Amino acid sequence: MRRRFLGALAAGALVAALGACGGGDEASGGKTEVVFSYLWAGEEAAALEKIVADFNASQDKITVKGVSSPDFQKQLTSMSGAQGSFDISDHFGSGVGAWASKGILTPLDDFIKADGYDTKDFPAAAMSQMVYQGKTYSMPIALHTQMLLYNKKLYAEAGLAGPPKTTEEWAEQIAKLTKRGADGTITQLGYANAEINTSFTTLGFMFGGSWDDQSGAATPANPGNVAGLNFYTDNIPGKYGVEQVRKFTSGFGEYASAQNAFYTGKAATIIDGEWQPVSIKKFAPTLEWGVAPLPYPSAQPNLTGTTQVTTSTLFIPRNAKHPKEAWEFMKYLLAKDAMTKFSLALGNLPARTSLVDDPQYKALPQFDAWLGALKSANARSLASSPWAAQYSSDLALAFDDIAQQRKAPNDGLAGVAQKAKSYAP
Amino acid sequence: MPRRSQTSRRQLRLGLAFASPWLIGFVALVLGPIAASGYYSFTDFNLFQSPTFVGVDNYTAMLDDDRFATALFNTLYLTVVGVPLALLLSLGFALALNSRVRGLPLYRAIVYLPTIIPIVVSVYVWRWLLNAQYGYLNRILGFLHLPQPSWLEDPAFTKPAVVLIGLWMVGGTTVIFLAALKDVPRETFEAALVDGAGPWQRFRAVTWPAISPVTLFQLIVGLITSLQLFTQPYLLAQTRLNAAAGGPDDSLLTYGMYVYQNAFVFLKMGYASALAWVLFLITVAITAVLMLSSRKWVHYGQ
Repeated sequence: MRRRFLGALAAGALVAALGACGGGDEASGGKTEVVFSYLWAGEEAAALEKIVADFNASQDKITVKGVSSPDFQKQLTSMSGAQGSFDISDHFGSGVGAWASKGILTPLDDFIKADGYDTKDFPAAAMSQMVYQGKTYSMPIALHTQMLLYNKKLYAEAGLAGPPKTTEEWAEQIAKLTKRGADGTITQLGYANAEINTSFTTLGFMFGGSWDDQSGAATPANPGNVAGLNFYTDNIPGKYGVEQVRKFTSGFGEYASAQNAFYTGKAATIIDGEWQPVSIKKFAPTLEWGVAPLPYPSAQPNLTGTTQVTTSTLFIPRNAKHPKEAWEFMKYLLAKDAMTKFSLALGNLPARTSLVDDPQYKALPQFDAWLGALKSANARSLASSPWAAQYSSDLALAFDDIAQQRKAPNDGLAGVAQKAKSYAP
Repeated sequence: MPRRSQTSRRQLRLGLAFASPWLIGFVALVLGPIAASGYYSFTDFNLFQSPTFVGVDNYTAMLDDDRFATALFNTLYLTVVGVPLALLLSLGFALALNSRVRGLPLYRAIVYLPTIIPIVVSVYVWRWLLNAQYGYLNRILGFLHLPQPSWLEDPAFTKPAVVLIGLWMVGGTTVIFLAALKDVPRETFEAALVDGAGPWQRFRAVTWPAISPVTLFQLIVGLITSLQLFTQPYLLAQTRLNAAAGGPDDSLLTYGMYVYQNAFVFLKMGYASALAWVLFLITVAITAVLMLSSRKWVHYGQ
């Protein structure tokens, strides 16, 4: 999953360097051609192409042509014309509402009804993101949860027995796991954000917060969110100096590389997703690491096992040339067999509850920790609202202000609440 | 008489026919979109559904928009600081390169070299040069016992970093100045020399008047480029998730970036169009002021 972010980054920089692809409506030997444009690239794209080939061989009515196109902007703009360049593509659960509200997506309800398609096997936390104003606009192909990863070697060096259960224990451990030179220069941090928006929204959930309410309105200034962010500022920049932390973290290497701060031992603990077992195997095979449930405040044991669920989705754009055939292919991808192959290749969680206990996932080291988190009663997610992009951007700005101690957490989040008032429905 | 007007009408038609490839392109690809953006600026438009007319709402919304104010401030900062500095530096380079020193062609090539490197590549290289911990720039500053700022993380230093990258790319401006310097009349220059004028007087009284029209041109072009600055801050502020980033504390959010974010990330094409029109008016106003002031300091011929 993470590689497509990097792909998107590279592609964003070289916008339009690679021009036309897709298109092609020629029926080859009476078959309908369905174009599947996906954001994945590299090895993940190769794994996907195998599944596409399996589908093409499995029947004789539809030929799917896979196109790796990790450019968010291109994906969006090619959906604005009358005739699209692809029939099916992938995105994220948090973006469903924004696109559905603007009529970008084809509602899937008619297909689901006509086929009597069963959606009960998909976890409720994920399906709720797929629905906008009572209609289903996307389907989950893979899920992601957040867990606490810790460096076993650094834990042993610090004389720590194991990962923390409560946030209080975690705070103590962070202090023991942080190393500084005589001049205050940091050489090792007890905790670092893997990606600030995901890490901070997860911290909010861990302290009982929520980023939106039942009605779908933004609630950035929820006291739990403030407590979660206070935990970070109290234990990292507040303690070691914001300048020093900034300097140390600016030297962190690329996320998906052997220079990742957690892989190099610069950060002793991180909050991150289930793609890490595959990623660590690839970039840091000798790393001694462990995974644990996210800690909870000792006063709130009901928050045990909190995690944030995010979703990778499949959708059919409103300007697809062959929506019916695209739906046939979507059903194939969502079936247990293809979904298992796909999630195993990417190291992502399957989006079907019936696959959670599938023994095939045992092949990935420590993967079951993230799988198990799917069943947690405290599995939380962000609402997929029409204004999600703007909310995320406003939060990113506030999170940065808070992390850099330009604003206190309650102050920064109150600022977002103020902006949220003008979000258009 | 009627015969003659027939001929001239025929010629007009012929002329228009010959110019039609450009005319059609101009109307369809330039004038059309400009007019469309003018219309969209008075609508609520998300690129996918038909626009709905909202009057001047998009324009009044800017008054309450913090990020609009930030973007405008950042852009003016980069323009007011960056453009004069770049002009001064390139004029300095041009004067130096206009002297008779050994190996001049080599120096000229070196000054021009950065401009032929694709901008995306050079900004990515600068991202590493400016890295607070491992960057060469801070290593040099450390060697000189100077403060080593977190260039890309500290909001006070992100804009100076953009200006710095801009100064590195003054090769194009330098070459134009150099060409202008070649046109400074030699006789006047020598006459001044004979009259005993020093280097500063020669520059002030002979060189400057001769290159002032080119300076005005470079100033206006530099200004327009700077007001539309996008690539450098966009790449410096870019985050892993390809979100609508504006750098630390939005310190890298330029006007161009904010237009882009509204149009293609938030899908508020109406608001983005209104923003673009306001930028256009700002550009026209600043250019008009410069043109008026130029009567006082630009000399055309004798």
